[in-house]
This record gives sequence, structure tokens and C-alpha cells, in this order.
Amino acid sequence: MSLTARSKTQSDLSGSLFSRLKTMLAALDPFQIAGVILFVAIWQSLTLRLPAIILPTPLGVVERLFADFLSAPALSYYGVSEANLYGNLIYTAENVAVAVIAGSVIGILTGLLSARFGLMRAIVDPIMMTAGTVPILVAAPFLLIWFGVGRASAVCLVVFYVAVILYVFAQRAATNLDPVYEESARTLGATPRQMVRDILVPATVPEILGGLRIALAGAWGLEAIAELLGSQSGVGKVLEALAGATDPQGIMATLLALGLTAIIVDALAALAVSRAASWSASAR
Amino acid sequence: MNTRVDSRMIELVHVNRSFKRADGQTVKAVQDVSVVVEEGEFVCLVGPSGCGKSTLLQMVAGLLEPSDGGIAVAGKEISGPGRERGMVFQKDSVFPWMRVIDNVEYGLKCRGVAAAQRRDIARTYLARVGLAHVERAWPRELSGGMLKRVAIATVFANGGRVLLLDEPFGALDYVTRRQLQSVLLNLWDEGGSAARRTILFVTHDVDEALALADRILVFHSGRQVDDLAVTAERPRTVDSLLLPDMVAIKRKLLAHLGLEEGSAASRIAASHEAGV
Repeated sequence: MSLTARSKTQSDLSGSLFSRLKTMLAALDPFQIAGVILFVAIWQSLTLRLPAIILPTPLGVVERLFADFLSAPALSYYGVSEANLYGNLIYTAENVAVAVIAGSVIGILTGLLSARFGLMRAIVDPIMMTAGTVPILVAAPFLLIWFGVGRASAVCLVVFYVAVILYVFAQRAATNLDPVYEESARTLGATPRQMVRDILVPATVPEILGGLRIALAGAWGLEAIAELLGSQSGVGKVLEALAGATDPQGIMATLLALGLTAIIVDALAALAVSRAASWSASAR
Repeated sequence: MNTRVDSRMIELVHVNRSFKRADGQTVKAVQDVSVVVEEGEFVCLVGPSGCGKSTLLQMVAGLLEPSDGGIAVAGKEISGPGRERGMVFQKDSVFPWMRVIDNVEYGLKCRGVAAAQRRDIARTYLARVGLAHVERAWPRELSGGMLKRVAIATVFANGGRVLLLDEPFGALDYVTRRQLQSVLLNLWDEGGSAARRTILFVTHDVDEALALADRILVFHSGRQVDDLAVTAERPRTVDSLLLPDMVAIKRKLLAHLGLEEGSAASRIAASHEAGV
């Protein structure tokens, strides 16, 4: 009996997955598809006039992506520790994941606290605002001195970037929250701790998650650039090596792989946002 | 030994409250107000906007501190909000991130009432306000009148003996407002006169005050200027509003609001009503 029950839930699951895929396909904008086709067509026509060493063909780039994904022996020749694309993608993705988690914890906590406590705001605001106006990348050489060419310096840079963005989003969300909710919770007997858990955090979740998606999108690029400046592996290191070898086809294949990964992760994040904030009309 | 049962529920003694405006000037919002409200009384606070009635209510709620004077509820000086004083706000205060039933349960949940028990209580009051069918809905799916019903169910479920309502129906249309007035009165009266909670109800609607109150306190420029008992039987119908006593009270209220017959303000109001 439990077997039939399990198979039933399984079919339900695959059914809902299928229906979700269908809705996702239905959500594809025909104009977006047309845009991609137009872009590829222009690219293809340009390759007719430009030599492959300047502009590789679209098909060549896709073929190269598939070829290099699992094994690209040439990379080890240039000093990349992982001789394939997927290993370097994972390295970069790990760093992005760690940095986004650490950066958002720092940013959200300080942002929410500074919105509620004037002293906190007075202390943290100048730091975050200065960090927000300076192009964060200029700190990269500095971090290399401190942390060397390992993961730490790239992660540090991205943590900084993510924390600043989420600080601004969390602070704004908490400042804009109508005081009536906290007043109402107080008159119902909520303790300060309950107010944070039940009012401040859930109320600001949709806006903060919106900020998280923006931070996530930027984090990929920043991580790659940080790796480009000094690292043993990662997508950035691959790009640096391929640039040294004057290999535009390889570079474009790597960029395509990074871009596709970022798009997939963003789609997953969007799904998580709409789940976590299903009460809010604006998050849908 | 004092065996007298003290029926004083809310006591305000020489309460003052002033604010500092952005331009540095001090505004006296509430000036030397002393009021005693008996347990189970339904008291309406009426006055023109800016007369201090909402400020007074916020102080009884514990959301604002008096600049001077004392407030006691059930014989105890208050400091800060407390669950024995439930508040319904003019703005929508129903938490949009909680389902309707979770909103009604929230106060009970805060003080650790068991899940099954608080759900029962919440269901009871949701049914009383006529919202049993939407307990799993999100607040954004409800109309303004329904949200006010949720807010009323929430404060009643929380069990406070004092209820403070700050122009709760001010933003609603006439029909909805009348419906909610009777929802509130029924909840207030359901256990008989001995079980009645004490209500302070701020309104700028004279007819609303006449329909609801045992007593109407009139405020002007931060001071209490009148204290009128309303003795008409409940439920108050259209006819009861025509009783000589009621008409006399309404005249007084209109006079306090600067709308007495023949005054400039009332002529302007009349010409507006006539659509001129």
C-alpha cells in the first residue's frame, strides 16, 4: 500500500514538474527569442567578413564549449590547476555562494539594525556609503597583498560588494515599513525579539530578496574579475590564460558558460523569491 | 478594610502631552485631561481633527508617554503597551505576511498559548465577525471592510479587557461602516452587560458616536470640553436617533464642532450637501 502511495506522489511530483516546465516555456517571450536569433544572425554575418582569430563563429563557440566543458588539456599548460571548464565553473560558483551568503548575512543584519538603532546607523552608514561609492575593484590589489592568490581575496571582494548592496536594501526596507505593524504587534503583547522575528524580518523579505538577486548577478562578474587579477583556478583564471594564448573562441565559450550558469542561478533565485514572498503582490 | 469593588477601569489624571514640531515650536496636543471610565463602558471621543483625541488614545495604549500626568488601567499605572489593552488602528494593521487566521492568533501565540487552543479561539472570533470562510486567505485578498473585521477579531481573541479604537471605520463607505458598527456592538455585548469590555472609540463622525456610545467625551484644542451621557436603548435604530434626548445631544455635538445651525460653517456644509 505504501508502494502505491509512493508511486502516486511520484507521479504527482513529475506531473507538477511537467506543468511547471510548460508554464515556463509559455512564459518565454517570442520577442526575446527573436532577439536572440537576430543577435546570432548578425554575429554569423560578421564572421563572413572578419577572420576567425578576431571573431569566431557562433557554432564554433558552442562546439568549443562542449569540447572544453569536461576536458581542456591545454589549460594545464597555462598554469590553470583544473584542466576543464566545469571544474573552474564549480570553483567560481563555490566562491560566489560563500561570498553571497556571508555578504548578505553581514549586509542584512547591519542594514536592519541601522534602520532601528540610531547609534548603529551613525557608525555603519559612513563606512557603507564610502564603500558603496568607491569602485570596489580598486581594493583587489590590496586584498591580494593581504590574502594572496587563494580563494580568500576574491571571496573577500565579493563579500564586500554583496554586503554593501544588501545593507542599502535591508535598511530601506526596514525604514519604509509602516510603523503601524510594529505598533500593532506591541499592543498585542509581542516582545522585542518576537517583533524582529515576526514583523521586521518577514515584512522586509521581499525587498531584501530583490536586492539579493541584484547582488548575485553582479557577484559573478566581480568574482571572475578578481580571479583574473590573481588566482590559480576559476573562470577568471581560465579567461586570463586564454587571453594570453590569443584564443577568442575559447574566451567566448568560457564567457558563454559563465553567462548561462548565472542565468540559471538567477532563475532559481527568482523562483525562491516568489515562494518566500507569496504573500506580497509585488514579489509575484 | 476596603471591600468596595472598584469599577474604575481607566483613569487619566491631569494628563498633558506636547510635541516639538520640526520648526522648534512646542505644540500642546493634550492639556490637563482628567477622565474616569467605568468598567464595561463604551466611550466615544469626539472632536475636530487635531483636537488631541488620537494622541490621548495612543497614550492609553502605551505607544506614547504623557509629558505630564498619570494613566492607570485597572488600578495600575501603565508603562508601555500591554495585551490587556487591545488597539484597532485607522490604518490597516493586519500583517500582510500572515494568513488571516495567523493574524487573529498572533497575540495568543506571543504569550505561548498552545496551538490547538489558540486556533479554536481564533476560529470562534473569525466566525463572530463573519469571516470563517477566509481563514486561510492572505490579507491582500480581502477588502478594506474585511481587514477591519480581522483587526477586530484579533483584539477580541487576544482577550484584553480594554479596547482602544482609533477612527477604525473612518476610511470605509457608509454601508460597510454601519455593518462594522453592529459587528463591534454585538461582540461587546455578547456576554451580557457584566462581561462587557471597556471601549474607548475615537471618531469624528457624530452619528457614529450617537449609535455606539454610552458616553461621549468632546475634545477641542487638546482639552476635554464636554462629557455627554447617551442613555438611549440599544440597538439604536433610525427612530432612536430622533428621540428628543438624542437630538439634544447631537445639537450639542454639532455646536462643539462649530456646526451649529445658522453658523457660517454649517451654511457652508449645508450648501455642500445640497450640491451647490
